[in-house]
Amino acid sequence: MTVLLILVLTGLMDALDTFDVQGGTSSGVSLALGYLLLTAHFVGDLFKRAGLPRLTGYIATGIAVGPGVLGLVNEQMLGSLHLVNGVAVALIAMTAGCELEHHSMKPLLRSIGSISLYGVIGTTLLLALAVYVVRSWLPFMHGASVLAAALISTVLGVVMVAQSPAVVVALRDEMAADGPVSRTVLGVVVLADLLVILMFAVVSSIAKAVLGGGVDAVQTVRGLAWELFGSLSLGVAIGYLLALYLRKVKASAALFVLLIAFVIAEVGDRLSLDPLLVALAAGIFVRNATSAGDELYRHIQAPALPVYILFFAVAGANVHLDALTTVGAPALLFVLVRAAGLLSGSALGARLANAPSVVQRYAGFGLLPQAGLALALSLLFAETFPEFGVEARALTLSVVAINELMAPVFYRMALIRSGEANQAAAERSTGSMAPSKPLLPDSADLNAGASPPPQQRPTSD
Amino acid sequence: MLTKPRVPRSAGSVVHAALPLAAALAIGAWSTQAWAVSRALPRDDAGVVDGGAHTRGSADAGRADAAQAGVAPEVLEPAASEDGLLELPSPVVKPLPPVEVPDVLAPVIEAAPDSAPEEPLVPGGRPRAVLGTIVGLLSIMVLAYLGGHRRVLAWEERLGISQVITAGFPFVILGLVARSSPVAILTDDVLRDISPLLRLGLGWIGFVAGFRFDPSMFRGLPSNVASVVTLSTLLPFMFVAAACASCLALFSDQSVGLSDPVFLRDALILGTAGAMTAVSSSNRSSDSVVSRVLRLEELAGIFGLMFVGAFFRPQGSEVSWQIPATAWILLTIGLGATWGLLVHTILERRSEGSDFLVLTLGSISFAAGAAGYLLLSSVVVAFIAGVLLANFRGSYQERLRDLLLRLERPVYLLSLVVVGALWDVRDVRGWLLMPVFMVTRLAGKWLGMQLGTGAGQLTLAPGERRALGTPPLGPLAIAIVINAQLLYPGGSISPIVSAVIGGGVLTEIFVQLWSRRK
Repeated sequence: MTVLLILVLTGLMDALDTFDVQGGTSSGVSLALGYLLLTAHFVGDLFKRAGLPRLTGYIATGIAVGPGVLGLVNEQMLGSLHLVNGVAVALIAMTAGCELEHHSMKPLLRSIGSISLYGVIGTTLLLALAVYVVRSWLPFMHGASVLAAALISTVLGVVMVAQSPAVVVALRDEMAADGPVSRTVLGVVVLADLLVILMFAVVSSIAKAVLGGGVDAVQTVRGLAWELFGSLSLGVAIGYLLALYLRKVKASAALFVLLIAFVIAEVGDRLSLDPLLVALAAGIFVRNATSAGDELYRHIQAPALPVYILFFAVAGANVHLDALTTVGAPALLFVLVRAAGLLSGSALGARLANAPSVVQRYAGFGLLPQAGLALALSLLFAETFPEFGVEARALTLSVVAINELMAPVFYRMALIRSGEANQAAAERSTGSMAPSKPLLPDSADLNAGASPPPQQRPTSD
Repeated sequence: MLTKPRVPRSAGSVVHAALPLAAALAIGAWSTQAWAVSRALPRDDAGVVDGGAHTRGSADAGRADAAQAGVAPEVLEPAASEDGLLELPSPVVKPLPPVEVPDVLAPVIEAAPDSAPEEPLVPGGRPRAVLGTIVGLLSIMVLAYLGGHRRVLAWEERLGISQVITAGFPFVILGLVARSSPVAILTDDVLRDISPLLRLGLGWIGFVAGFRFDPSMFRGLPSNVASVVTLSTLLPFMFVAAACASCLALFSDQSVGLSDPVFLRDALILGTAGAMTAVSSSNRSSDSVVSRVLRLEELAGIFGLMFVGAFFRPQGSEVSWQIPATAWILLTIGLGATWGLLVHTILERRSEGSDFLVLTLGSISFAAGAAGYLLLSSVVVAFIAGVLLANFRGSYQERLRDLLLRLERPVYLLSLVVVGALWDVRDVRGWLLMPVFMVTRLAGKWLGMQLGTGAGQLTLAPGERRALGTPPLGPLAIAIVINAQLLYPGGSISPIVSAVIGGGVLTEIFVQLWSRRK
């Protein structure tokens, strides 16, 4: 029956497409929104039955119906749905912030720092080395001097290493997982997000200066400082307002939380702030400095599922499968190098930090998924270094496409094997959950995701 | 606004449910053929419409395509003239002239321009913008706090504006202020981003109205109710249409007549909106005569909107299906019925909590979008789907009713913000129409109730007479004009929207003061 419903919906979309009006109009967007919600939900069900993550089903739906394959949801519709991405990023980041409770994270801080150092920074260097070594396979590197090739390799290493907090939060919710692995992974991907943004700003500026682009160092540092500290400050202010609202007003709190997510998404772009950082700071503030953390978590979860489904489906629709045909082989190589680096680096980091054996074995899998930040950095790379053109962008987008589709499957398996799947649900049913730990909603299989659309400034996922 | 209790199903209600189903199947078969014909017409020329009656193009190619599509040649042949013109039946109503979308409406109607998104602010302007954001959020929070405060509520009561506040009109003002140039939070880009919300809101209102429409609730009604419904719908419709249309004709710098399709359409839209009544908490019970009368009035409004949507269709290059107006009516019913069946199948699957929310949101959004895509009324299509669902025996009924009830107000209020942002208050005609709209509507309603109840055996309590004689304007009336605004952005639609929104506020204040005096 599920398959039949998907076919009927797709047939209706195809029939409506013959009416031949501009697809980007508000009715076209509303149509696409409804179609993506329903179809992605059904495909997610099918994937779940097949033992795969539901969010992979949402992404697969986006790929199938997006401009690259069936074209039922066209570029204009996708462009108009970008607000959903912003709102979803803000909600996911607030969720992550609510999960980062100081007391429960304190014992894990050493592991998080060590895994970030060896796993993330180590893999960045490994990827840079791999790009440098195989530069003869990459047409856009032909003719580059040794220094130029080394710098561009480093920038590409940073672009390709990015993680996805969205997928981590989504899978954690979907699997109702809780324990040292999922908490450590969440801490690492949030920290890695900051690291990657910083590293990209630094190495791309250096590369640009050396390659003759002319960069104002003071301006770059100022921009970076504004993005980091401005985002954190605004996040704290918004967190204070959120807590105040939840304590004093209470009425229509879910609506207010949605409004906050909307403001963060819209204002973040206009102010050159990172929406993820703003929302993350707000979530962390509410959780750790006020008593409204649980309530905020509950109100975030109320509208979350539809937003997240759309988010992943749109992320899937933005995947450029066609790029694989041109740069498939090197992309696959970099995916393997990245995976090897993250798995071994995080295992090493966890071991050096004396983390539990389960963290040593499985934490690396949580670092594999990619989505919004990696996609945004790919696009920014293409904008910053136009001389490397379409091929470089195709390479990084291909890496993201493979990781976006495959990595959640591995992280899901890791959560099951580590024994953390369904732990949150079990704790909730026995009532043993600590007060500081947020309660999961009734439908614990919420799904989160990430990916800003093309033509946008990079924001984290 | 939804009614909770439901009468047990009987054979009658099953027949009621089966009838649209049969109609849908017949229409489905018919519309497939119409669709095949439209596909068979040469696509590059399909949009070139001459007076709405001629479609130029290669008839031979069209016939060949039709043969390939399995359409009998006679479907196309009878109207083919010697120079290859395919002649469609002459329209009942003259074709609408092409219009330019006003700037204020463009973000929710037109596709996003290809230009790059808004540039980030220059560093010097950022601190001010951050401060503005915080102050804006703080203001909303303070307003929300004050809105629920006892003293403020008592003060609203004293001023007689509590119903205006409850009806959500401050959200219209919020949208208006947010779009105004000094504040400029709702920029064109932002409006474009949130425009699906307006479609969803229209679909939601139609769906809710349809879902509470149970034909079995009309059994056992006093015989005189029919005349009450007819008069209390028809008289305000006629009064409002005549008076407001006359005003519009006076404002117009060109001479207009009844044969002018834009004038006729605008008058019909105004009259239809004027005939609607809010379902308030006092008349919500499905058992009361008033409640049942109001349901029937809603049905009349839906019919009115469907009629306007079918007979006054936008024409031009954006329309590719060339079929007669009556066929558009059938297509509207067919789309609503087909979608109702599909949603029934979807919701029958076992789903709870957030999953159920996703399916419901997706279903309504798809229905509203599909209707808008075909330039049909989202309210009508969603209403038909809602009626079908209400009359099917489904395990989801209670859950759906609860969800609709829970989200009805937030969705409506958010839509009102967008409505406010689209409201062009600079048009003086709208302000002049407001009192005319309110007075003629209330006069029609009051007279309709008096004549309807005076002639027969229907006896109403004073409260019921007041509810029918001086009724406030409901969300459906606003949905009707906003839907019309999306379909017909030109003409006099801007002052019509002003008249209905402003007339709604005036009516609320008047009703409040009137009932207090009584």
